[in-house]
Amino acid sequence: MADHSTIDDTRYVGQAVRTIEGRAPIVGAARYTNDFVFPGQLYAHIVRSPHAAARIRRIDTSGALKVSGVVRVLDGAEAAAHIKPITHYIDPAVFGGKSAEVRVMAVDEVWCYGQPVAVVVAEDKRTARFAAQRIQIVYDVLEPVLDAEAATAPDARIVVPGWDSNIMMQAPFRNGDPDAAFAKAAHVVKTSVDIHRFSTQPIETRCYNAVWEHDIEGVTLYATAQNPHPLRHVLSEVLGMPESKIRVHAPVIGGAFGMKMHGHPEEALMCLLAKLTGRPVKWTETREECLLIGAREQRHHMELALDADGVILGLRDRYFANVGAPSACPGWGMAFLTGLTMPGPYAVRDIDVQMTVVITNKPSWNAARGYGKESTALALELAIEDAARQLGMDAAEIRLKNFIRAEQFPYNSPTGLVYDSGDYSGAVLKAMHAIGYEGWKARQAEGPKDGKYIGIGVAFELTPEGGALPGTMVAGYDSSSVRVAPDGSVRILTGVTTPGTGNPTGIAQIVADELGVTMDAIEVTQGDTTTCPYGFGNYSGRSTIVGGGSAALAAQQVRAKVVTVAAALFDVPEADVELHRGVFSVKGQQGRTLTFKEVCYAAYTGAYSVAHGITLPLEATATFKPSNIRHTPDENGRINPYPSYSNAAYVTVCEVDVETGKTKVLAFAAAHDCGRVINPVLVEGQACGAISFGVGGAMFEAIAFDSSGRQLTRSFMDYVMPRSEDLPAVKMVHHDSPNPVTYMGLKGAGEAGVGGSAAAVVNAINNALIPLGVSLNTLPLSAPNVWGAIQAARKRGQREAAE
Amino acid sequence: MSLYPSFARPNSLAQASELLAGLSGGSVIIAGGQEIMPHINHGAMQPDIYIDIGGLKELRGISEADGVVSIGALTVHRELQGNAIVAEKLPMLADAASRAGGGRQVHNRATLGGNLVAMHPLYDIAPALLALGAEVELVKAGETRRTSLAALMHETSHGLGSEAILVRVLVPAMAAGTGWAYEKLKLSGGAYGSANAAATVQLDAGRITAATLTIGAVADRIIDAAAAVQGLIGQAWTAAAAEQLELRCPALVKQPLSDQQGSGEWRQAMAGVVARRAMAAAVARAGQK
Repeated sequence: MADHSTIDDTRYVGQAVRTIEGRAPIVGAARYTNDFVFPGQLYAHIVRSPHAAARIRRIDTSGALKVSGVVRVLDGAEAAAHIKPITHYIDPAVFGGKSAEVRVMAVDEVWCYGQPVAVVVAEDKRTARFAAQRIQIVYDVLEPVLDAEAATAPDARIVVPGWDSNIMMQAPFRNGDPDAAFAKAAHVVKTSVDIHRFSTQPIETRCYNAVWEHDIEGVTLYATAQNPHPLRHVLSEVLGMPESKIRVHAPVIGGAFGMKMHGHPEEALMCLLAKLTGRPVKWTETREECLLIGAREQRHHMELALDADGVILGLRDRYFANVGAPSACPGWGMAFLTGLTMPGPYAVRDIDVQMTVVITNKPSWNAARGYGKESTALALELAIEDAARQLGMDAAEIRLKNFIRAEQFPYNSPTGLVYDSGDYSGAVLKAMHAIGYEGWKARQAEGPKDGKYIGIGVAFELTPEGGALPGTMVAGYDSSSVRVAPDGSVRILTGVTTPGTGNPTGIAQIVADELGVTMDAIEVTQGDTTTCPYGFGNYSGRSTIVGGGSAALAAQQVRAKVVTVAAALFDVPEADVELHRGVFSVKGQQGRTLTFKEVCYAAYTGAYSVAHGITLPLEATATFKPSNIRHTPDENGRINPYPSYSNAAYVTVCEVDVETGKTKVLAFAAAHDCGRVINPVLVEGQACGAISFGVGGAMFEAIAFDSSGRQLTRSFMDYVMPRSEDLPAVKMVHHDSPNPVTYMGLKGAGEAGVGGSAAAVVNAINNALIPLGVSLNTLPLSAPNVWGAIQAARKRGQREAAE
Repeated sequence: MSLYPSFARPNSLAQASELLAGLSGGSVIIAGGQEIMPHINHGAMQPDIYIDIGGLKELRGISEADGVVSIGALTVHRELQGNAIVAEKLPMLADAASRAGGGRQVHNRATLGGNLVAMHPLYDIAPALLALGAEVELVKAGETRRTSLAALMHETSHGLGSEAILVRVLVPAMAAGTGWAYEKLKLSGGAYGSANAAATVQLDAGRITAATLTIGAVADRIIDAAAAVQGLIGQAWTAAAAEQLELRCPALVKQPLSDQQGSGEWRQAMAGVVARRAMAAAVARAGQK
């Protein structure tokens, strides 16, 4: 953990304040979506396809309807008669891709394992599940399309009827003259990077409870939703109801990581069932269902052109994203972001990157922490490592040589992004120092001990944060209200939400400082479309940037009001009034004080006297809109959808047991730039969480399928995330370059680090195995895979020796 | 399969046995629930009748008599880890119990009997008990029967879990000076084992006089590697002996498991690695107090 000794303790910002929302989950008092139960509550059980691809010949629901306690049974065709296809969170058609019609349940054809086919609603969960087994479905099974590159073959079966190919979208990210760069290169290094399907598994799975509001003929959806207002908009379109009749309430969320961004069939389906039955209908996702939501199955064919000194002259990448079956969730956009973020932190101008997003018969992606930027980091960092190895350069040296320099910011990237600030070389050097780079190198030089090889891995990740995509509900701005009651207590209502990261505490710290009150005076309300200002929720590391920024602006407005009232009470000019931690005083006059509560009460009750000059109540709503997002295309048609560019360097030391292929992470250091740090404990918690995501993904988390496309990974027995014993204590250092345009210099802090840490681990393992001639860029680098690569290298060596 | 299952909690072994004998099927015996409840929650198991044997005193307690440690089937993993008799007489069992997955909450509820009745190839207790030559006592239809655990694991009609009750496990106390080791290879901290080995060894003047070895988690049954250790008897534990053992063990794995704990090819090779490591650690420990 970092050194927190240099903090300004007159302000809450910068301090490791205890979370205001943390107690309830710890003592088991938090009310998650599944904890809400209403009179007349019904429960839904969804019947899912056991096949990856099939035509539905017949569905017979009569057996289920005979079970006592069953209230309603619905199949895809009937659902489609009631409601429209699901509105895409990010419609591929807006970006030049193909848009499929996604229904809440399969109609005529199923296009992935686990796709909803029918639903049973009953008085209790067990009855619903029991009755679901009595639904008879006859399928004509089709040959599934499972591999992305194979799916693009001319003779591949077309997954979506009516499409001319399985390619959903193909787009170039091109700049300069890459062909010339490759023509003059001293070295061309080709690296294929195979990123496997791995997931983000929140401990709280998804849950939706739709309550039919008979009085207004509307619906309230209690939902594990990161984006309540945009979800309300989608529901309004799908259900054909005005937004004013729909309320989305997202209570405490037990982890989201992008998976709880909407477009899921169950959201609108529960609302429909509530409407049809007139009763509350709840569905709670099982772990098996949660594991169906994929991400990141992506293959990169990278080429780097380098000069004799290791300077990267050009970059080519052909990458294929297997996004699975069509979905209304924003998962596919991850693949787009991968290309947009190329070439990351490197000062390469001549690039030729081509994205191919492919639809297959695997379950769909949804957004997952990193949102494609982690794949950029993995592809780049593994390719650069390969280049360093082939050129005989040190892993750090080649990066330091190619980084964008600190004085080059703001930097226009070859894909049109405008990086705000950073010091990438400085971050790498800090991380190397933190881990003791030279010491580990010396230890590595001593050679393997007891069959254990040591490797050092360096990697960098640039993470654009706070994104805004034109024409979508991925917005760059957000709003907050600050309301002060007559007793001086403060309520903040924000349009941003928290997935459990602690942003309410960060926002409260900001407001406490800006308003001049103590932390315990503040409550934060989020996630309710009826009470909160219109907002876009949680994604892209935005909540503190725009939630905190807007709350600060609102707090400043309210502070001006109370200062006016205090000045009237003191009978001094406003400029002489001071307010700190809930106490008003007068400059230069010791002993004259008023409490915040006294002034607030005076304001509310003195509208015709001391509060004559202000607008009551003591409330304000403000919006923070980062000024550097640009949606007007430049001369090359490019936009800058991001206001902030968090970044971090990762250095790790791994030990590989060559007998078993098993790797142990011995040391890990990170130098992290998220701009101004509001709460170091929260930032470090998020950063460490991202590191364990990356390490788990790089080393063992994987979602597997059989050859018929059935998912084999169905529980935490097979999907194993890292435990504390799998990671050493992370040495975290901050290397902050404040963002020049955001409030207080904030950059996103919650999302970054999955790809950088994964790449560092892969690089360390490959670095360890240099003496054995192993270079493995197919993830995960699990023990069997590493062992297999070692065996293959040995056999290769024996063959070569024999020849 | 019933929506409204029945539940019975007999007070004595005789009562439980009588109850089970009178049932025609669809019943399941439950104690700590750590094996069965996940299956039930998942919908993979839908019993009509639950017979809760948690109240049977005959299935509790740990004692030693005539060189045999008798352990009640309801003994939970935590007790195995901390019990003085087990620690002194069966340290390898205590170690294997502490290596089982699931953490303390599971260890506090998961019973020895439940672990064995599951006959799960990835579990940790059975390899250790097999290497220690354990026997079991079971009751079916009022009849008590004693058999070796090794034989039981090859029976197909023992009825455990639905008709027969595992009452006690009887394990010969480990002789003073016995070297032992339980080796577990897993993909990550939270993973099930990919290859496990339990070894015991006795040395006399640097030569191996007796040894047992079992290998788990690599095939659908736990492998008794007696054939592989046979060649070690009368020998010193040398690098060559270790290599021989490592080469012999994979050959005992006829059909390796291939799942998310690792591919079959790797599992087969790892059978040799964990076997050698377990035996090496057992030899290192032999003769020490």
